[in-house]
Amino acid sequence: MTPRNFLVVSALALLYIAVPMLLGSNLYIMSLLVASIAIGGVALAWALLGNLGGMVSFGHAAFFGVGSYVSALLVMKLGLPVFAAMLLGGAGAAVASLAMLPTLRLKGPYFALAILAYAQIFRILATEWQSVTGGAGGLSNIPRLPQIAGMDFGSKIGNYIVIVTIVLIFALIYQRIRASHYGTALRAMHDSEDATRIVGVNSTLLKAMMLLVSAFMTGVIGAFNAHYINFLEPDYGFSGLWSTLPIVAAIFGGYRTILGPVFGAVVVYLVDQLVFKSFIPSGHQIMLGALLAGMVLFSPSGLLPWVVRKFGRGRNALA
Amino acid sequence: MTELILQAIYSGLLQGGSYALIALGLALVFGTMKVINLAHGELVLLAAYVAYAVESGLNVNPVVAIPIALLVVCTSAVLVYFLVDRIKEDRELNSLILTYGIGVMLTNAILLIWKADIRSTKSTWLQDAVVLGPFYSMRSELGFFVASIVLMALLWWWLARSWYGRAVRAVASNRDAAKLMGINPRTTEIVSFVVAGILASFAGVALFSYGVIQPPLGHALTVKAFIITVLAGVGSIPGVLAGALLLGVVEALTVTLLSSALQEIAGMGLFLLVLFVMPNGLFGTAARRG
Repeated sequence: MTPRNFLVVSALALLYIAVPMLLGSNLYIMSLLVASIAIGGVALAWALLGNLGGMVSFGHAAFFGVGSYVSALLVMKLGLPVFAAMLLGGAGAAVASLAMLPTLRLKGPYFALAILAYAQIFRILATEWQSVTGGAGGLSNIPRLPQIAGMDFGSKIGNYIVIVTIVLIFALIYQRIRASHYGTALRAMHDSEDATRIVGVNSTLLKAMMLLVSAFMTGVIGAFNAHYINFLEPDYGFSGLWSTLPIVAAIFGGYRTILGPVFGAVVVYLVDQLVFKSFIPSGHQIMLGALLAGMVLFSPSGLLPWVVRKFGRGRNALA
Repeated sequence: MTELILQAIYSGLLQGGSYALIALGLALVFGTMKVINLAHGELVLLAAYVAYAVESGLNVNPVVAIPIALLVVCTSAVLVYFLVDRIKEDRELNSLILTYGIGVMLTNAILLIWKADIRSTKSTWLQDAVVLGPFYSMRSELGFFVASIVLMALLWWWLARSWYGRAVRAVASNRDAAKLMGINPRTTEIVSFVVAGILASFAGVALFSYGVIQPPLGHALTVKAFIITVLAGVGSIPGVLAGALLLGVVEALTVTLLSSALQEIAGMGLFLLVLFVMPNGLFGTAARRG
């Protein structure tokens, strides 16, 4: 076994065996962990778009909300199995991202601003389209994750296993994209989009693909969250927090790494819930804003890369 | 019905005046610094809350708050400038994230200080009806519309004739050439932030004088300002004014004919339509396509 494989195997053992065994009985800690890893998944999807596609999104709440509503409604109204509906929730979010495509041709900060504007539309639609979404009252009793082959995925530990698996699969997809020739083209686009176009890369198409992938991932996580919380309302499903937290997490953990955003999410979410929220119950997001501004000013590539650099282990240990 | 529609158009036009001030501030800073200040709407909201604080604290007409709002908002705008100026690498992306973070901070600071309740002015003098031919408006609506037109005329004069205004335009069109002509781009950038702050202060006090304010509004204002700049195409003051009036009218018509909840969607629909059909804006000629 090479050292690298050994590291991977022990990390998996820690995630799948040690954490549930040690913490599984503490429901509060487990629920914090599940929520933070879910946000980590969104942060990973956000970072994929930012790192590979060169686009900053302030509207991932839209994809999160669309995914959660599509999945919850498919299960509740059409009786689809939960896991299939979650995938379709992701697909729904990807379809929702199609409306963003015209902005990809625009230069500069237009994409960021357009998606900022765009995020609001879906919350209003979910509120107004009462016959389908239940309006402002929301949906309650959304079916939980099912029991398959004796494994109850609806339990706290089951939820944990599912979200860890989803995020690991996403990380793998991310890594594959980055290593493929698409990844090379996207990296080149980061240096000079015009030059990349001249050598025959369809940059708009590549950016659109990254947007679709990122929206899909976010939608799946949103769908998971709906079945995990069992409740949805427009102000919750499309809450700006689903945009803000992942950005803070990704910047904190280093958005140019694959797993940095996930670590960032766990740290930021736990600190936010356990520390900030106890000091400032209603406006605790002020600390998230401060953290974001501070990180961009003092270490824009994130804390994790900074730590790695500082204490000099293998440079690509985390990437 | 026709009367209702005409009245909605009139109200929408009056609303467009403040929208134009907000959008011009955003565009001015983008022009000189190539930075979109995502906290711009929050600065406008800050001015509105200053007006609320002055009115409820001193029991005076909120219009009196304009000098204080100018002080608070321009100081904040300059602070934002100094923070943005510290960013050295990957400026376009990082400045967006930074100003987004500042916006989140401002929204929540407002929430902490003034609570989440919806606020509006208590001054009956401002809310009194003014009749102009067949049209009705509040005194504050008409007054601030006239004020915003005057401010825009001043801004136009300043950009066209004054030394600093011309410096701002020079830096916006070619930074290096402007430097060679002896213009200090940093000073010009600060000036553009201050002018954006002045416009934001008036718009904010206006919003409080004829409308309702609450903490999440800042974000929506930034979005509106952006929609207007897209409608207007590459900025000229008349273009931005036309875009702002158009947005105001479309919103007012949506509220009258459909529902007030769909107001935001109307602006967004207009935005997407323009983006699909005329990506250079309604009044723009220069290409913005990548």
